[in-house]
Amino acid sequence: MKIGIPRALLYFYYGPFWESFFKRLGLNVVISDSTNKAIINRGIKVAVPEICVPIKILAGHYLTLAQQNVDYIFVPRMVSIRKRQFFCPKFMGLPDMVKHSLNFKEKILTCDVVSDNSNISNYRNYLPLAEKLGKTKKDIKIAAQEAEKDWLQFRKFTQLGYPAPKAYELMVKGLNPVKINPKPGQIRIGLLGYVYNMYDPYISLGIFDILQENNVHVTTFDMFSENELRNVTGNMSKVLFWTFSNYLLEAGLHLFNSDQVDGIIHLTAFGCGPDSFLGKLFELESEKKGIPFMTVRVDEHTGENHLVTRVEAFTDMLKRSKAV
Amino acid sequence: MSKVFLGIDVGSVSTNVIALDHNYELLFNYYARTSGQPIESIKTGLEKFHSQYPDLIVAGVGTTGSGRQLAGVMVGADVVKNEITAHAVATTHFHPEVRTIFEIGGQDSKIILLKDGIVVDFAMNTVCAAGTGSFLDHQAERMKIPIEKFGEMALKSKNEVRIAGRCTVFAESDMIAKQQYGFTKEDIINGLCQALVRNYINNVGRGKKLEPPFAFQGGVAANVGIRAAFEKEIKHKVIIPKYFGVMGAIGAAILAREKIEKSQEKTTFRGFGALQTEFVPKSFTCNGCSNSCEVIRVTAGGKTIAVWGDRCGTWKEKMKQSLSEAI
Ligand code: SF4
Ligand code: SF4
Repeated sequence: MKIGIPRALLYFYYGPFWESFFKRLGLNVVISDSTNKAIINRGIKVAVPEICVPIKILAGHYLTLAQQNVDYIFVPRMVSIRKRQFFCPKFMGLPDMVKHSLNFKEKILTCDVVSDNSNISNYRNYLPLAEKLGKTKKDIKIAAQEAEKDWLQFRKFTQLGYPAPKAYELMVKGLNPVKINPKPGQIRIGLLGYVYNMYDPYISLGIFDILQENNVHVTTFDMFSENELRNVTGNMSKVLFWTFSNYLLEAGLHLFNSDQVDGIIHLTAFGCGPDSFLGKLFELESEKKGIPFMTVRVDEHTGENHLVTRVEAFTDMLKRSKAV
Repeated sequence: MSKVFLGIDVGSVSTNVIALDHNYELLFNYYARTSGQPIESIKTGLEKFHSQYPDLIVAGVGTTGSGRQLAGVMVGADVVKNEITAHAVATTHFHPEVRTIFEIGGQDSKIILLKDGIVVDFAMNTVCAAGTGSFLDHQAERMKIPIEKFGEMALKSKNEVRIAGRCTVFAESDMIAKQQYGFTKEDIINGLCQALVRNYINNVGRGKKLEPPFAFQGGVAANVGIRAAFEKEIKHKVIIPKYFGVMGAIGAAILAREKIEKSQEKTTFRGFGALQTEFVPKSFTCNGCSNSCEVIRVTAGGKTIAVWGDRCGTWKEKMKQSLSEAI
């Protein structure tokens, strides 16, 4: 049996868990190709124009998988991974959206994912899949436990400072890498963005590579542990409702206040509601702290958006001001 | 013997070659229409410089503009930088306090926002002619007034005329109508200047918070009428940098100087003799995957010496391999 997983959205955070989970159940896993023009165009065609770019891209990945001769496509309903906080509504409504606007209803494999922390490996989440997959409760439980180990390893590596795709590679190869620290004289930039924007090389035009080629040390929200993040807003009276937006807020506040970075880039996608709040909050914080801040907005035609130039110009000037 | 730093700005319409002396004074300035022949323009510019100042030593070269990679390969540049950085570096060198740079050239225009000397945002317009110098050129020609006189005439205007300047076509018909109402040429020209500035601010500056101090540069900054229109529109004084027309090239030269001074290395400039080498740029569409990249490849003496445009880096890799085999 073949299970399709889109290389989009939370793949860059939970992909290692899901992939491992299905593999350990003895199933074949097909992961769609990295986003490319054809995938994006497919997504744009079916998605409503107002929806955010990441969801359009996701739709393109689903459609691509549907043509790839898979038995099921995994479309989890991400509900909550923190008490009284939820995923952005687009995630929560995903299975319904897919059911109504993409025509592979019979292939949808879905379950609700709920947890009180970012570790979503509790097997009960996945019991609803057992029947379709022809597996027992015990099979599911064992697979989830094993997959959890892989995911924790992956998360450990991102916390050592490796961007998610690299951390995944290290995990698969069973390596034991060292922590990445800024080298003397290196510019340090905090890159605040959702995993599906930062790590999708098409949408971000490989922003990581660009920064690294420019000799920049990059810190992202997923390089912090959940506890580190939670401590930041622990005593704040108001937080955002949406979990990943909150992670970004926490990582941002932490970076603005801890002398770890020379500048901060907020990478946001066109049409994202939560980010309009987030961006404003960062802007205010930047004013207060005097740390240079730039917003980079990506859309489905990133190439024309001068993203590379923007990032280059920002880092060039940071370097110069640090040199003087 | 004195040293100079060269800056080369290759845009789609024009090419600038400049030389800065050690006091950051402009020593030499060459401007040419690129007219699809950037290589020729660069050669001519450098040769002119060399024949005017055969004794000066070139201590470093920087390139910028849309043709910066090609120019960089050709001359052996020490620094190849995008035009945003180049402009920002040049402006902040002469006016560190500037927070907003208005740049209007012949065919394109941009706004660069700075905070504490750091670029935090920018926008470019390369599509709509109504916010660039070509809009004025066109109207000057139509009214049979030399463009050099445009600015002064605008200042003589006594009556406010609002020309609908959303786009070149509308502006034209509106102008004709206003002329028939009996407004003077001066008034019409002034109205045009204001229309251009309005267009520019609305298109390029849309949704941006424009903070003073303002600098206004690019070829169009020569026009006193536009300067006045800017000050009126944003209700604030604008600074016109001394070398307003060649700020991109100056930025590239400054960056080259910084790099050389910091690294203490010798310049990679290939010298004036090397200009005789034939450089042939070719572009092709790669069909290696569905990204269909537009790849540009430059060859010299039959060998590929530079490649860009490939998203995945395959072609760059291939070039490196074949170059290393050749050694
Ligand atoms: S958080 Fe923003 S980008 Fe992400 S799914 Fe929601 S609206 Fe889209
Ligand atoms: S250059 Fe690379 S990314 Fe671009 S079309 Fe060819 S194979 Fe695809």
